[in-house]
Amino acid sequence: MTRTRNPRTPQKRPTGRSRAWLGWALKLSLVALVIVAGFAVYLDAVVQEKFSGKRWTIPAKVYARPLELFTGQKLSKDDFLTELDALGYRRESAANGPGAAAVNGNTVDLNTRGFQFYEGMEPAQFVRVRFSGDYVAGLSGANGKAVDVVRLEPLMIGGIYPKNLEDRILIKIDQVPKYLVETLVATEDRDFYSHFGVSPKSIARAMWVNTSSGSMRQGGSTLTQQLVKNFYLTSERSLSRKLTEAMMAMLLELHYDKREILEAYLNEVFVGQDGQRAVHGFGLASQFFFSQPLSELKLHQIALLVGMVKGPSYYNPRRYPDRALARRNLVLDLVAEQGVASQAEVDAAKKMPLGVTARGSLADSSFPAFLDLVKRQLRQDYRDEDLTEEGLRIFTSFDPILQMKAETSMNETFKRLAGRKGADEVESAMVVTNPETGEVQAMIGSRQAGFAGFNRAIDAVRPIGSLVKPAVYLTALEQPSKYTLTSWVQDEPFSVKAANGQVWRPQNYDRRPHGTIYLYQGLANSYNLSTAKLGLEVGVPNVIKTIGRLGVDVDWPAFPAMLLGAGGMSPVQVATMYQTIANGGFNTPMRGIRSVLTAEGEPLKRYPFQIQQTFDPAAIYLVQNAMQRVMREGTGRSVYNTLPRTLTLAGKTGTSNDSRDSWFSGFSQDLLAVVWMGRDDNGKTPFTGATGALQVWTSFMKKADPLPLDMPQPDNVVQAWIDPNSGQGSDSSCPGAVQMPYIRGSEPPAGAACGGEQNPAESVMDWVKGWMN
Amino acid sequence: MNKWLFPAVTALAVLQGCASVPRGNIPVVDSSTRVSNSERVTAKRPTGGYNAGTAQAQTLPEDSGVTVMIPQGAGASGIQTFPASNGAAPISTGPVSAGPITSEPAASAPVATDPNPIADEPFDIASMSAPKASSAPTGIPRSSTSGGLSADEQLDGPVLALLTTAQSQQGSGDFNGAASSLERAQRIAPREPQVLYRLAQVRLSQGDAAQAEQLARRALTYANGRPSLQAELWNTIAQARDKQGDSAGAALARQKARVSS
Repeated sequence: MTRTRNPRTPQKRPTGRSRAWLGWALKLSLVALVIVAGFAVYLDAVVQEKFSGKRWTIPAKVYARPLELFTGQKLSKDDFLTELDALGYRRESAANGPGAAAVNGNTVDLNTRGFQFYEGMEPAQFVRVRFSGDYVAGLSGANGKAVDVVRLEPLMIGGIYPKNLEDRILIKIDQVPKYLVETLVATEDRDFYSHFGVSPKSIARAMWVNTSSGSMRQGGSTLTQQLVKNFYLTSERSLSRKLTEAMMAMLLELHYDKREILEAYLNEVFVGQDGQRAVHGFGLASQFFFSQPLSELKLHQIALLVGMVKGPSYYNPRRYPDRALARRNLVLDLVAEQGVASQAEVDAAKKMPLGVTARGSLADSSFPAFLDLVKRQLRQDYRDEDLTEEGLRIFTSFDPILQMKAETSMNETFKRLAGRKGADEVESAMVVTNPETGEVQAMIGSRQAGFAGFNRAIDAVRPIGSLVKPAVYLTALEQPSKYTLTSWVQDEPFSVKAANGQVWRPQNYDRRPHGTIYLYQGLANSYNLSTAKLGLEVGVPNVIKTIGRLGVDVDWPAFPAMLLGAGGMSPVQVATMYQTIANGGFNTPMRGIRSVLTAEGEPLKRYPFQIQQTFDPAAIYLVQNAMQRVMREGTGRSVYNTLPRTLTLAGKTGTSNDSRDSWFSGFSQDLLAVVWMGRDDNGKTPFTGATGALQVWTSFMKKADPLPLDMPQPDNVVQAWIDPNSGQGSDSSCPGAVQMPYIRGSEPPAGAACGGEQNPAESVMDWVKGWMN
Repeated sequence: MNKWLFPAVTALAVLQGCASVPRGNIPVVDSSTRVSNSERVTAKRPTGGYNAGTAQAQTLPEDSGVTVMIPQGAGASGIQTFPASNGAAPISTGPVSAGPITSEPAASAPVATDPNPIADEPFDIASMSAPKASSAPTGIPRSSTSGGLSADEQLDGPVLALLTTAQSQQGSGDFNGAASSLERAQRIAPREPQVLYRLAQVRLSQGDAAQAEQLARRALTYANGRPSLQAELWNTIAQARDKQGDSAGAALARQKARVSS
């Protein structure tokens, strides 16, 4: 629409023949004048409107949890250094300035960068962290005094991008590092401070250089013109556009001072492409290429970024390091030539390597499953435009260390199991949460964790098999007058006629009945016969209600087959259900987001911790006890081939019909993980819950090294000594007597003391031997 | 000529449009949504959104400082540990962690001085936990023994610091900030009932009586052997039930509070 012709009066000279033409010409030139004036006014409006308003739309940025540091914290030095590396901390011999870290044996010195959180500003500060084993043994500040708690800045794990995929981190001109502006001016527009938007001098110089060299080596565009070109105009190359650009550049200079123009330039300039995302501005460029905030950049890094302005793809330092290095050093020469920095500084800078980080993906690409969860939660509260344009800062519970451990566990296990026939087609998903807070810490949606696509952790609803069994036992154990962990139950074949006339005949996995057993053994060994019988006794609808109280509303029909896990859930739903068991009977809605700040750092919204007690802790205590026995003596016992027996865990295997789904869900005190394996086409897999999913789970727990499960014993639970053979009350002095928890009043009457000395340690050993068998 | 017509008309049209407003004040609607969005969010979720106005309008509850409780001077080691009340029970044969080993703020200090107490012990969870708790806190700064919150000596470094922060945020009417700081403390010491107690208090101030009650109930499950804290928690539950219109339940809770204290 705004095509410009430099309006001129008609070229033809008036001939005597046409005075009328002259009149026409006069009128036309008047019209043209009006048009030019109008156009100028219009351009002026455009220039001011866009420049004075909100100049850019900024995609929301998503941050991982900030790493908290405090004395006594369980954190290994290696994990800590991994986090520092991800945050782009420079390793120096002594930590100087924000973003620097120095490692000396078990001590790490660092200067944090400071960050605006929901609760307030975390200042940049010096911290000395002393490690001992896998714990933080001491934390002190600059003056050597102990510090209570310090938060690192959070890792940015992605953004929420609009269609045009333009991304930037806004910077203020007073925050830019030394040399940046000077280097930019020296390289791109040395007359910047003296011209009025266009520079006839540089145009002349460019023409001279270009004609004398015979090629287009230099452009005469000022920084202002470049800004106008990127900011207001399309990339069309024509004379009319060039003239519009010049006009707008002058108008811009008329209204705004050089600093404002520079600041806009620093934020607007295009410096690279990250997949589909366009990297704009030096703020994001610094993060993208160096994983560091702009303010920390040194001369050699600045020179590289400034050099790239000329041709971001041609000088891409990741793809063409040689070209980029040559360009950088050329810029450094200009810097020396124009006296921006001393020759010595420039020489030192030239000796530095390019220093770009290996992969430039702070984009959507790194942790797609978790970001998908975050986006879904955000879309419930925000419109798409809010998320893609307002520069919101989203603070999540994502733990990059746990995520990396989960991904490594998944990869290693698949590699190990690759020999199994059909293992290649098996997909997988994983959810990791902290049951004490209900926060999601890691998520994998595909066995290729970095692959964005079908997010199985949320969307794959698959039969959960025996994972449902804790709900059956919980329903029973809530009636202590009828059921205890040591009630006798029959594991014998039976059949029921369903309402539709079909006969249901459950079978054990090993196709054998196990006779009369303790109630808990049905869960520990995942026996179908005894579990189904128990479930029918307490009522299928009641079991489904229990699942609802555990936090998952399922619309399963109340068929007996539901008792053995014919109903489907997603891994996230399973995690929700198990979280309530892990958390003492308090249901916590799963959260991935903690809070949202505006672009200016103002608190906008919080997603608070919420709980709802839905079970008596005593019944939960008993179910946890039985689920610990799954790990000690039941279907999950292979974990202790890998993990120390001191690590108390509770969990449950799950296998659907014909091994189509392999599940494991389990928890320690502070960590809950659900692993699913199966094929997208629902075909058979070579894995049961124990041989597939549990392997990933075990590997993950070994790496994560969580705290042992340790639920406080509720007031209304008592420990009673029983004879392991009869289930009758016994006494601690009796051979082989074991302790079991009961809801008060349901314990068997205490037995008589047995004569003779019994070494209690021996009875423990008997039990241990029992599990080994 | 036709080629000129279009830009001319356009320019005139634009001029026309611009003429009606002062220069520099272009008739372009800024559809920026930050403010409206904030309002929308706040309106939708009064408890979640940040709204200093509302917050200040509410009256502060009487403020007793970070609650002073549990004057168990002797065993005060910064970590709340509970001697097994029922004697012999917990330690011995139960193969699965049995008995009241309880309420050590899970993530906090003690293990620092003894980073790997677990490794070579024979398998017995219960007996393992006990010495760990008792040998606790030598390496931990005891800064909490002086200053305004000194009586709260059951808490150590980070948790105490965050409770203090929350306290001042609450004092200035920033309940969301206070709740947020308390949740930070909760992540550090998820099993410290005093953190949950303070959170319940903040929720009560925010008018979320239902959550206040739930948090207090959660805290009770970690407050075994701490009668004065239990009494406080039951009182909180009573207040929360009153606010929810459950006076019978409130009376019941008050009764529990009396029994506890």
